[in-house]
Amino acid sequence: MQKIRIWLSNPRERRKGMVILSGALILGGLAAGQFFNLQGLRSLLMTLAAVTAGWDIALRAWNGLRTRYISIELLVTIAASGALLIGEYWEAAAVTFLFILGAYLEARTLSQTRKVLQQLLELAPSTAIVLRDGRQVEVMPHEVQHAETVLVKPGAKVPVDGQVIEGRSAIDESAITGEPMPEVKVQGSSVFAGTINQNGLLHVRATGVGADTTLARIIRRVEEAQEEKAPTQRFIERFSRWYTPAIIGLSGLVFLLTRDVELSLTLLVIGCPGALVISTPVSVVAGIGRAAKSGILIKGGEYLENAGKISAIALDKTGTLTQGKPRLTDVIVLESAALSLPAAVRGSNSLLKEKLAPRAEWTEEQQDLLWWAAIAEAGSEHPLAVPILDAAEPLTQKDPLPTADEFEAFTGKGVRAHCQGSEILVGSQTFMAEMEVLLGEAVLERLARLKEDGKTAVVVARDGMATGVLGISDPMRSAAPQVIERLRKMGIERIAMLTGDDPTTANAIAREAGIEEVYAGLLPEEKLDVIRQLQDQGHVVAMTGDGINDAPALAAADIGVAMGAAGTDIAIETADIALMADDLNKIPEAIHISKATLKNIRQNVAIALATVSALLIGVLLGEVHMAGGMLVHEASVLVVILNGMRLLRA
Amino acid sequence: MKTLLRSQELTCPSCVAKIEKALKSLDGVQEAKVHFNTGRIEVEHDVQDASDEDLVKAVRSAGYEAHVSAF
Repeated sequence: MQKIRIWLSNPRERRKGMVILSGALILGGLAAGQFFNLQGLRSLLMTLAAVTAGWDIALRAWNGLRTRYISIELLVTIAASGALLIGEYWEAAAVTFLFILGAYLEARTLSQTRKVLQQLLELAPSTAIVLRDGRQVEVMPHEVQHAETVLVKPGAKVPVDGQVIEGRSAIDESAITGEPMPEVKVQGSSVFAGTINQNGLLHVRATGVGADTTLARIIRRVEEAQEEKAPTQRFIERFSRWYTPAIIGLSGLVFLLTRDVELSLTLLVIGCPGALVISTPVSVVAGIGRAAKSGILIKGGEYLENAGKISAIALDKTGTLTQGKPRLTDVIVLESAALSLPAAVRGSNSLLKEKLAPRAEWTEEQQDLLWWAAIAEAGSEHPLAVPILDAAEPLTQKDPLPTADEFEAFTGKGVRAHCQGSEILVGSQTFMAEMEVLLGEAVLERLARLKEDGKTAVVVARDGMATGVLGISDPMRSAAPQVIERLRKMGIERIAMLTGDDPTTANAIAREAGIEEVYAGLLPEEKLDVIRQLQDQGHVVAMTGDGINDAPALAAADIGVAMGAAGTDIAIETADIALMADDLNKIPEAIHISKATLKNIRQNVAIALATVSALLIGVLLGEVHMAGGMLVHEASVLVVILNGMRLLRA
Repeated sequence: MKTLLRSQELTCPSCVAKIEKALKSLDGVQEAKVHFNTGRIEVEHDVQDASDEDLVKAVRSAGYEAHVSAF
C-alpha cells in the first residue's frame, strides 16, 4: 500500500503507469467489441481508459485554470468529457491516451536536448585534496579556501581554478575549451576546475572556488542563454495566450452554427498549439547546447537568431588573424648624428648598422636603443609595449629602468616620455612626422621593408632625432587562410580586416590570409565607424576581437565574438559569442551552428503551422475525427522535437 | 535562502505558471521562477517554514516531478 502511495505521488511514474494501464484497457475494450461483440463491456473499458488517462490531464487543466491560464490540457479535458457525454467512448479513450503517451514521449526526448547541460553539471568535481599544515585533507571542492594549495593526482579532476605552483602534467581541457588535445601545464600555468589531469602530480594554488570558477560560469551562462527567449519564441508565446481561448470560442461558435457536437469537440483537439509553442525553444536549447560542447558560448536565443543571419564579418588583425604574441625581431640602430647629412655623401651602407640577432647577442648600441625605448613604453598599455619590454628584460634585470618624469600616450600612434633630461618618442612613422622628427630616405626604406614583411615598424627618437627602428612581428595563425575560405563558402559576403596597424603591414598579412578588404591605421573609434558603415549597407555584422581596443566595435556589431575567453571572465559574461579556445576555426563553426539553428527553428514553425492548417481543413471537410486528429497532432509535436535534436549532431 | 530544483517534465510553457503558483502559495516561499527551456526552478524561501521537501511536494501537487539540484 505504502509502495503504491509513493508510486502515485511521483507524477512521472504515475503517468507512465497510466499510459500502460489505459493502453491495456483500450486493447481490452477493442477485443471485447471485436471478438466477443460485447458492446457494453467495450464501452465500460473505454470509459475506464479515458478516466485513467484523463485524470492527470484534468488535474493539470484545473491547476492551470486556478492560475487563470487556459491550457492545452483544458482543451483536451473538455473534448474528452464531451465525447464521453455523447457516448463516443472510443474517441474519448483514444484522445486522452494519445495525449498522455505523447506527453510522456515528449518529456523523454526533450530531456535529451537538455542533456548537454546535464553533462556539464556532471563535470563538476566532487572532492578536492588540500594541503593543510603539511597534511593531505580531503574536502568538498567549494570548501577549498582561496590561495590554499590543492593536490591534483593523475587521473583526477581539477577541483578549483588555479595556478600551478609545482609539477608538470598534461591536462584534458576539452570540457572547457572543446579542444581534444591535452595541454601541458607547468609552473605558472592556469588550470580550470572540471578539467582532467592525465599523468603528473600537480600542486595548484586555488584562485577560484565553487561558483567562482570558469566551469560554474559556463554552466550559468549556458543555462541563462537557453532560458533567454528568442524573438520568435516570445512572439509565439504571446500568440498562444490568446490562441487557446480563441479555439474554445471557435468550437463553441461552430456548435451554435452546426449543432454538431463531434465537429466542435474535434476542433478543440486539433487546435492545440503544442507543436508551435515548442518549435523555437527546442531548437534554441539544442543549438546552444551543441555549441557549448565545442567551447562556444552563445549568449541566448536572440543572438543565435542574429548570428544565423550574419552577412559581413570584421576581423581584428592582432590576436585574431595573428597569434597575438608579438615578438621583437629587428633592432636597427641609426647613426642619428649623421642623419642630417645627405645619404649620398655618407654612402647608404655605412649609414645603418643593423643586425638580426637573438636578444642575448644584441650589440651594445642595440641594447642602448632598447633601453631608451623601454623607458618610454614602461608606462604604455599598448599591446606593442609588451614585446619591447620583454626584449629589454635581460637588460633591466642588472640595471632597473628609471621611471619617466613625464609620460603621455597618443592612442594608436605612439608615446612621449621625459627622462634624465631627454625627450623620448616611440611610435609610428606618422607620429614622428607629427612630432616633427626628420626621417631620412634610408630610414624610410628600412621602414618600408619591415612593413612589407608584415612586421610592425616603430621609430625611436631622442631629443627630436631618430635613433633607431624596431621591427615587431606577430605571425599570422596558420589556420587563417582556410578559415577565411570557409567563411566565404558559408555565404559571408564581406570579410574585412580591421587594424590600427600600418596599411603596408596590414596588407601583407591580409594577402597571406586571403582577405581583400583591409581597413588599416584605424583608431579604436574608427573601427566602430567601419562596423556602422557595413551595417548601413544593410549587413548583419559580426566583429571578432580580443583586446580592450576592440570593446566599442564589439559592442556596436550585431554579434560581438570574443576569442580565447577561457580565463577571462569579462569576455564570458559580456560577449555575444565567447569562444573558449583560442582557435580561429571556432568562428565558422559558431556561425555554422547558428545558421543551422535558425533553419531548424523555421522548419519547426513550418511543420507546426502546416499540421494545424491541414488538420483544420480536414476537420471542416469532415475527413478528420477526434482520435485521428490527436494522433497527427501528437506526432507533429514529436517530429518537431526530433528535428530539434538533430542540431545536437550538427 | 535560494534553492534550485530541476524538472525534466516541462513539455509546454503553460506548465510554468502552474508550478510558480503552486510554489508561491506555500508559506515561507517569497519568490519562485520556472524556466521552461531548461526545466530549472529557482525558489527563494525560508527553510524554517518551507523545507526543500515541501517545495518538491508542491511541484508534485501541480502535476510535475522535480528534484533539488546543487547547481
